[in-house]
Amino acid sequence: MDDVQALLNRPKFYYNIDGVGELAVGVMGMGYLLLFWLQVHSPLHSFWNKLYPLVIYVAGLHYGTKAVKQRITYPRTGFVSYKKSMAFWPAVFSITVASVTAFGFLTLLRHGVDSTTPACLIGGLFFAVCYGYGMARAVSWKWLVAWGIVLAAVVVAFLPGRILVSLTGDSWTARYFDAKLVGAFLLYWMALSMLLLISGGISFFLYLRHTQAPAQDGE
Amino acid sequence: MNSQIQAIADLDRVIHEPGRLMIVALLFAVDQADFLYLQHETGMNKGTLSSHISRLEKAEYVTVVKTYRGKVPQTLLSLTQAGRTSFEQYRKKLKKAL
Repeated sequence: MDDVQALLNRPKFYYNIDGVGELAVGVMGMGYLLLFWLQVHSPLHSFWNKLYPLVIYVAGLHYGTKAVKQRITYPRTGFVSYKKSMAFWPAVFSITVASVTAFGFLTLLRHGVDSTTPACLIGGLFFAVCYGYGMARAVSWKWLVAWGIVLAAVVVAFLPGRILVSLTGDSWTARYFDAKLVGAFLLYWMALSMLLLISGGISFFLYLRHTQAPAQDGE
Repeated sequence: MNSQIQAIADLDRVIHEPGRLMIVALLFAVDQADFLYLQHETGMNKGTLSSHISRLEKAEYVTVVKTYRGKVPQTLLSLTQAGRTSFEQYRKKLKKAL
């Protein structure tokens, strides 16, 4: 029965067989970071604080990933179209966890409690568990990346406050949010995105090295 | 007859063959997949895979659509509702038998 279950899981893991899934999330993370950095360091009503840059960026990523899959992955190891229901429950889970966590931290902020350390630790653990479940179960060396995600969270959580505050400077965000928390978010997001980019890059390199499109003849 | 032995005897023979079980399990988890994907995941050669697919198609468990990806021929496969139901029943019976 375990073998049948393993077979049922294979199509889920196939999405990241080429590392493009991770690369996309890593590029998305770095792009969001850059966008967030620009938002933090530009006036509140500037172009960067509007919604269009985000929409353009997300659309570019979506079609970019699709193009890589169509030109590289499908001709080499085949095409898979996923059931819509497969994306539904992970999305519901992520939105629920994010909402509950955000509510918890906003409550802490309202009461003037410094939530940077618990936010980093809980966030790091959450990302590591999601990564382990979604990616590392398929490829054992990716457990190192999962541990890297936890380690990055621990390092950021215990960094001196002045370093984290210096990342936001005299931004408008300090009026609305805890500057230390914003700085920790920027730094941790960068570490997480870098880890995913490296891991995805290695997977992509190995995929290109070990696969090639078969000669075309009848099926 | 013992119920466990009966459960083994009742297993769907079309799905129970290891090669076809792999194909059906892989297709069960997706909306559709192409021939190349199944070949890559199962490690079967084209002839063996084609013969298993023909057997599944004959049992009306799988639908096969021949199309093109650009100029390259592509064979898309998906599990029919009958195929999905049979696979679910097969798993239940196998669980009972074990």
